[in-house]
Amino acid sequence: MTDLPLAESGALDRPPLWRRTLSHPVLSTPQSVLGLAILLFFVLVALIGPLFIHHDVQAKVGPVFAPPSSRFWLGTDGGGSDMLELLVVGARVSLLVGFLSSAVSSLIGGTVGLLSGFFGGKVDIVLMRITDYVLVLPDVPLMIVAAALFGRSLTNIIVIIGVIYWTSTARVIRAQVKSVRERVYVQRARSLGAGNTRLIFRHVLPQVMPLLIANTVIFIAYAIFAETFIAFLGLGDPSTVSWGKLIENSFNDDAILNNAWWAIIPPGVCVAIVVLACAMTGQAMEDALNPRLRSGHLSVRRFRLRAVPPRELS
Amino acid sequence: MSLLQVEELHVWFDLARGRELHAVQGVSFALDRGERLGLVGESGSGKTTAILALMGLLPPTASVAGRVLLDGEDVLVRGERTVAPHRWKDVAMVFQGAMNAFNPVKRIGAQLVEPMEQHGVAEGSRAEARAAELLERVGISRTRLRNYPHEFSGGMRQRAAIAMALACEPKLVLADEPTTALDVMVQAQILELLVSLTKDFGLALILVTHDLPVVAQTCTAAAVMYAGEIVETGPTDVLYHEPRHPYTRLLFAATPDLESRDVVVSIPGTPPRLDEAAAGCPFRPRCDSAVARCSLERPLLQRVGDRHEAACHMAAQVPA
Amino acid sequence: MRGADYVVKRIFFAVGTVLVAITLNFVLFRMLSGDAVSALRCRQCTPAFKAYERKTLGLDQSKLQQYWLYIDNLAHGDLGRSLRTQEPVWQTIWLPLKNTMPMVALGTIFSIVLGVITGVIAAWRRGTWTDKTSVWASLVWYSMPPQWLGLIIVLYLASAIGLPTSGIHDATLGILGTPSTWQVFVDRMKHMVLPAATLGLVLYGNFTLVVRSAMLETLGEDYVLTARAKGLTSWATVWKHGLRNAMLPVITLVALSLGFIIGGTITIEYVFSYPGIGLETVEAIDQRDYPILQGIFLLLTFSVILFNLLADLLYFKLDPRVTE
Repeated sequence: MTDLPLAESGALDRPPLWRRTLSHPVLSTPQSVLGLAILLFFVLVALIGPLFIHHDVQAKVGPVFAPPSSRFWLGTDGGGSDMLELLVVGARVSLLVGFLSSAVSSLIGGTVGLLSGFFGGKVDIVLMRITDYVLVLPDVPLMIVAAALFGRSLTNIIVIIGVIYWTSTARVIRAQVKSVRERVYVQRARSLGAGNTRLIFRHVLPQVMPLLIANTVIFIAYAIFAETFIAFLGLGDPSTVSWGKLIENSFNDDAILNNAWWAIIPPGVCVAIVVLACAMTGQAMEDALNPRLRSGHLSVRRFRLRAVPPRELS
Repeated sequence: MSLLQVEELHVWFDLARGRELHAVQGVSFALDRGERLGLVGESGSGKTTAILALMGLLPPTASVAGRVLLDGEDVLVRGERTVAPHRWKDVAMVFQGAMNAFNPVKRIGAQLVEPMEQHGVAEGSRAEARAAELLERVGISRTRLRNYPHEFSGGMRQRAAIAMALACEPKLVLADEPTTALDVMVQAQILELLVSLTKDFGLALILVTHDLPVVAQTCTAAAVMYAGEIVETGPTDVLYHEPRHPYTRLLFAATPDLESRDVVVSIPGTPPRLDEAAAGCPFRPRCDSAVARCSLERPLLQRVGDRHEAACHMAAQVPA
Repeated sequence: MRGADYVVKRIFFAVGTVLVAITLNFVLFRMLSGDAVSALRCRQCTPAFKAYERKTLGLDQSKLQQYWLYIDNLAHGDLGRSLRTQEPVWQTIWLPLKNTMPMVALGTIFSIVLGVITGVIAAWRRGTWTDKTSVWASLVWYSMPPQWLGLIIVLYLASAIGLPTSGIHDATLGILGTPSTWQVFVDRMKHMVLPAATLGLVLYGNFTLVVRSAMLETLGEDYVLTARAKGLTSWATVWKHGLRNAMLPVITLVALSLGFIIGGTITIEYVFSYPGIGLETVEAIDQRDYPILQGIFLLLTFSVILFNLLADLLYFKLDPRVTE
C-alpha cells in the first residue's frame, strides 16, 4: 500500500497521448479509415507531386483546351497548361490553405474556449460576449470583404479564413473544458495543490485534445470551401494555383463553350473528395467521442417468434 | 379463467457474433382480477424484459417464445399484429423512470388524452374531462392539465404516469420499479395510490421491483425471479415467513430490518451469465444448501404448499 | 407572457451586434482600405475627378469626423453613392435584392424540405440501405463547391431539360406585344429554378445529417417507448412525437448556415449570370466600387442578424424548456 498522494502514485496516469490516439475507436469504422486514407493520399500527392514538375505550371505547353490524350492525361486548360500538373500543384496550395487555416482557427478557438471554460467568471463572460458578437457576423461575406481589401497573398488568406472561423470551436471547447474541470480527478489534483498551468496541461488538455482534433478536421473542409469562394471571385493569390482558382479559370476561359469537361470537372471533384474525406473522418471522430449507445425504440423490423424449447433437465 | 396466464415465456436477445442472451427462461404464472403480483429479483434477472414481452415492446434484436393469454386469447401468437391492439386498452404500463416517459414539448393533458383518442375511448372535450378526473384521482389538481412535464416534481410525474396508464380503463397494469428514484415519503404515497386504484377499478397489477418491503406492503402474491426464471411464487406473507427457495430466504435475510437484531447477510457471488447454457440449478454457485444433485439437474417449479411453488431440489426440507 | 425578458434581452443583443456591424463596416472600408477613390478604375476617373470625389465624400476630414458623418448618413437612410454610376447605393442594390430574395428563399426551403424528409427516413430506417445511401448522398452533395455544381448543371443539365442558364428574363418575351403577368411570372420562375436548385442541393446534406441525428436521439427517448406502448403506430409516433423535437436543431442550423448560403448565392449568381445581389457584389469587387460593397455588406449583415434573432425567438417559442 503506497503512501504517495494519488497524483504521484501513478493512479491518475494514463497511457501517453499518442498511444491513446492510435488505438482510438475512430480508426475502427470503415468510413474513417477510408477518409484518412484519402486525405493521406492527397497530402502525399501535394508534397511529392510538385517535385516532379520542374517548370512553371501555368506556362503554355500545349494547345488550348486539348482533350485528354496520352501526352496530357487530363488535357489542357484555357491557357494551354497541363491539367494534371495544375491539379497536382493546386493540391499543395488548397491543402495548405485548408490545413493551416483550420489550424489557426483551432488555435484561436481552442485557446479562447480553454481559458473561458477553465477560469470561468469574468474571463468567461467577456470572452463569450466577444464570441457571441463575432458569431453573428456572417462569415462568408466578411471573408469576401476582407479578401477584397487585404487579399492577394496566401498568408493573408490563411489568416483571414482562420480568424473568421474560430467562434464555434471556442464554444465547443469551452463546453468540454467545463465538464472536464468538474471531473473528480481534476478536483483531486487541484486539492493536492496542483497549479493552474499544471492542471491545464496535464489534466484538462489531454481530455479536450481529441475533440479539438475532430473539430479541426471538419474545419479543413470549411476552409477549403472558403478558399474556393475567394479564388472564384478572383481574390486569391494570383501567383499561385489552387483548385478554387482552376474552377475560376474554367469559368473565365469559357470552358463551357468549348465543351472542355476536363477543365471543369476534375478540380471540383478533387475538392469534393477531400471535403468528403474530411467530413467522414471528422464525423467518425465525433461519433467515437459521443457514442450513441441507445438504440431506438422505433424500428421497421419487429421482434421475432420462436417455438418453445423443450425443458432440459441436465 | 384467469385474466392473465403466461405459459413458458422465453425471450432471447441477439448478441454479437451469432450468440444469444437468454433473458427470460420459461416463465409461467397466472393472475386474476384484483390480484397484485410482485415480481421480485435483482438487476438482470429478467423481470423487466418479461413484462415488456407481455406488451410486445421488445426491440428487433429480440425473439420470443411461449403463450401470453389475456382473457383466454393468445396475444403473442402472431407477434406484433396480435399484441398491438391490446396495448393500453387491456394492458397498460407505468415505466421505470416515469420522469422521461413524457414528451417534454407537449402538455401533460395532451399526453393523457392521446391514448384515449387513439383507441376511441373518448374524444375532444370528453377526453379532456376524463383526463382531468384521472389527474384528480391520483391527487393532482386538474388545473395542471396544461402544464409541461418539467413543471412537475418527480413524484407528481409518477402519479401523472399512473393516471395516463388508466386512461383507457385497462384490465391489467404493469408497473416497472415505479418508486425507484423517489424519496421514501413519496414512495409510500405512490404505493398506497396503486393499491387503492387497483381496488377501485378492479384491476390486476404486476409490480416489478427489487425492493422487498415494497412487495410486502402492496402485493397479495409474489414471484421471485433469478437468472431469467421464476424460482419461487406464492402469497406474500407465506413467502415472507416460509420461504422454500434458498434465494428467497437469502433475499429476505439480506434486507436490513431496523427492528431485528439479525446480522444482515449479503449473498456472495454474482448471477450467472445468460448467454451460455448451464447445467443444473443456476443458483448453485451461490447456494448455501446445495447438494450433488443441484449441479446436474435443473429443478422445476413444484408445489410446496397452498398456491406456493418453488424450484429447488431441497424445497421439501424446511431450511434451518 | 412567458419569457418577455428573454425576448427583450435578445433584441438588445441584436441591436448591439448591429452597432458592432456598422462600426466594423466603417473600419473595414474607410480606415483600412486607404483611399478608396485612388483605387477607382473607370473611364471618367481622371485625377481631377478623383480630387472632386474626395472632397464630396468628405475623405479629407479626420477619421472620427468621417465616422460621425457615416452614422448620420445611415440614420437618414443614405448609404452613399456608387463610385461608378453616381447613383445612390440604395437604389443600385434594390433591384438586385428583389431578384435574389425569392431565389434564395426557394433554394433554402427546398433544401430544408429535402433535408428533413431524407433525415427522417434515414433515422426511421436506421441501419438499412436506405439510411446508408441517404447519409452518403447527402455528404456527397454537401461536399461539392456550389459554383462547380452550377457549372456542371449549366454544362450538362440545362439544355437537356430546356431551362435557361443566365439572366432573369427572356429578352424575346416582350417582342410580340406586352406579355401577361402570368407569362412574366413563368419566365422568372424558369430562370430561378436552376440557381435555386443548385443552392438547395449543396445545402440540404447538412440538414439531413442534423435531422437524422436529432431524430435518432429522440427515437431513443423513453417517451417514444411510452408512445408505442400506448398503441401509437410507428408513423404516428414519428409524426407526433419525433418530428417536433427533431425540428428544433433545424432552426439553429439554418441560422448558422446563413454565411454559407450567402457565399453560395454569390458564386451561384456569378455562374448563372443571375442579376441579383451576388452578381452585384462580384461586379463591385471587380470595379472597386467600395460604397456599393459597403452597402451590400451592411445589408447582408443586418439580414443575418435579423434572421438570427428570428431564429432565436422561434426556437424559444417552440421549446418550452428554454428558460434562460
